[in-house]
Amino acid sequence: MNAVHKEATKAGGLRNRLFQVKKTGAVIIGKALIAATRLLGRGGTTLPGRLAIRIKPDLAELLAARLLKGTLVVTGTNGKTTTSALIKNILIDAGYSCIHNQSGSNMSWGVASALISSASWGGAIAADWALMEADEGAFPKIVQDIRPRGVVVTNIFRDQLDRYGEIDRIQEAIGRGLQALAAGSFQAINADDPSLVSIGGLGDKERLTYGLEIELAEDSFQNTGRDLKTCPICKKELTYERIYFAHLGHYHCPSCNFRRPRPDVQLTGVASNPDGSNRLEINAFGRNLSINSPLPGTYNYYNLLAALTCSLALKIPEKQVLRTLEAANPSFGRMESFAIGDKVLVMALIKNPVGANEVLRTILKTAGNSTLLVAVNDKIADGTDVSWLWDVDFEQLAAVLTVPDRFSATFAAGLRAWDMAVRFKYAGLDLTKVQVEEKTGAALRRALQATPAGGTLYVLPTYTAMLEIRRHLNRMGYGRPYWEDR
Amino acid sequence: MIRQINIYHLYPAQLNLYGDRGNMLALSRRAQWRGIDLRVIPIEPGDQINFEQCDLLFMGGGQDSDQLLVAADLKKRRPEMRRAVEAGMPVFAVCGSFQLLGNYYTAVSGEKIGGLEILDLYTEAGNKRLTGNAVINCPLWQPAKTLVGFENHAGKTYLGPELQPLGTVLNGFGNNGLDKKEGAVYKNVIGTYLHGSLLPKNPWLTDYLLAKALKHRGQDSTLRELVDSIEIAAHHRAIHIAGSLRHRMRSTRA
Repeated sequence: MNAVHKEATKAGGLRNRLFQVKKTGAVIIGKALIAATRLLGRGGTTLPGRLAIRIKPDLAELLAARLLKGTLVVTGTNGKTTTSALIKNILIDAGYSCIHNQSGSNMSWGVASALISSASWGGAIAADWALMEADEGAFPKIVQDIRPRGVVVTNIFRDQLDRYGEIDRIQEAIGRGLQALAAGSFQAINADDPSLVSIGGLGDKERLTYGLEIELAEDSFQNTGRDLKTCPICKKELTYERIYFAHLGHYHCPSCNFRRPRPDVQLTGVASNPDGSNRLEINAFGRNLSINSPLPGTYNYYNLLAALTCSLALKIPEKQVLRTLEAANPSFGRMESFAIGDKVLVMALIKNPVGANEVLRTILKTAGNSTLLVAVNDKIADGTDVSWLWDVDFEQLAAVLTVPDRFSATFAAGLRAWDMAVRFKYAGLDLTKVQVEEKTGAALRRALQATPAGGTLYVLPTYTAMLEIRRHLNRMGYGRPYWEDR
Repeated sequence: MIRQINIYHLYPAQLNLYGDRGNMLALSRRAQWRGIDLRVIPIEPGDQINFEQCDLLFMGGGQDSDQLLVAADLKKRRPEMRRAVEAGMPVFAVCGSFQLLGNYYTAVSGEKIGGLEILDLYTEAGNKRLTGNAVINCPLWQPAKTLVGFENHAGKTYLGPELQPLGTVLNGFGNNGLDKKEGAVYKNVIGTYLHGSLLPKNPWLTDYLLAKALKHRGQDSTLRELVDSIEIAAHHRAIHIAGSLRHRMRSTRA
């Protein structure tokens, strides 16, 4: 007798049986819709869940309760996707099965879709873990729905202000989600982010922190947007001993004594290896470890620490965790490479100033004859307000363009291609090398054509523009459909 | 002789929420392209402000916690600021700063927070945010020109009977979603909820502000025409997007 059936007979009564019918019905409709949308060549990651939870609002909760080990949730403005991909790989390499809403559909219906698509037609789930990436605004609802055993919160930055209003409100939403955690669960948060550390009301929940203890060259870009200038407790000015980027760093408040906690997991040293990877020295819960990590950029140090903290909290053997982390590849859309004939296409998602600046900084480090395509859409998943483009330091590109054989051509694409072109103009780019093409497919083809043999095309799309570009790449025979990622 | 103007950028660290950097960039570049020496003077909380030297005061939008901090500091300078405004000092205020220039703001709790009383308007907190692309018809020019931007505000602002709006709403919500008025103009003060950033896609408004600043300094305010084809294309695309079904269907979200 399967678990679903047991539940129905246990409670008994016609009302419960009707409930049961409704649930199975919701699963069946959801699954049928997923099948249908995939036939149409789309991921089927949003609509099926949306409809199924309309029919049965607590469907996600019921399905999540069937998991053998439980659920985990990763939220925060930046780094969710990479962090959750790392944790998922660790779980799988440790011998567990894991459901994951990996294509970035991280609202409550995306979580429901992921569970439905892994469930049998009768509503049974045979998996150990579900690891869900949660949008910050949807975080409280998702925590309520699937009652995670552990959550990871990466950071809070300015992101898609049209959806959440202001950073204060994102912080409030994350606070509500943390409050909603069940007793005995753990939370792993970034110690370098004062807006996270200041969230109180822990009760009997375990809080683990991670952070950097290294020296980095002072942030040379003035406008990366230090969103949090004031102490989140007393609203006086916060003092920083070190800033890693934006408002992440070592801080304390001279007025109220609010200060950065000593992290449980610390990055204590970084050295470059000859193959381009980094050797990271880490102190985790008092033990010294080292990892050779292929992931580039400071933001990935944080992602790696977050995944490590969460995995060690789950008591996964340390050796196993390190082996998986060393094998990690930059995750979906976050910095992917495709070989296209004798050219290379590198794609990195951009969605807010801090993330975009980090991406620009990383791609500008690699030399070579390269071209650039920035594709900006303004659909809901991208953020309908494109004013964040003005907080991205595209000025970095202008300085580079004066050096020959770097970006020989720059393309602006997407529904907001012209906004991007204006941004390029005011950033001081050479307009004779800037081309505007709203259609992402045509822009991709033109940009590939303009890329010299042996050169690299960097593609920086917003979320829905990335989905479009992936579809074009799939049609051209490059890359797998995104719902088939590992 | 090289023309020179000073822009006072009020509290750049606190009031920088909605791409206000774009507004400053638009002013700086368009001055630079015409050989005007434009200086940006950042004003931090607690700094002395010499309004005599200020040719354009720029005030951006902030988040609630920062906004309160700024309001408290700014109220100390109210008499001098008021005098400068009456003497024709150009001011450009966006979002939260636009509200701050008014008489008061009523919070959801019912608490009344006093403003600078420079513009005869008041704001009431709403529980539904007015969010989306917006287009207004602006009579600062004859014939009137359109301005495009993005609005995102929970506060609903109402103008006093004598105060002129910046424009009439063609698409979007405007000050309060009811009376079709957007922003306010008093002497050389412009307040608005529009960002996006506002100035880059509306180059005529940027030039209007630059000309006002030059004039306030007692200098020749004629501005050489620039090639604005990219800005104009972006402006027209934004009008199209604001009017599209795709946008209208989602612009009324709470």
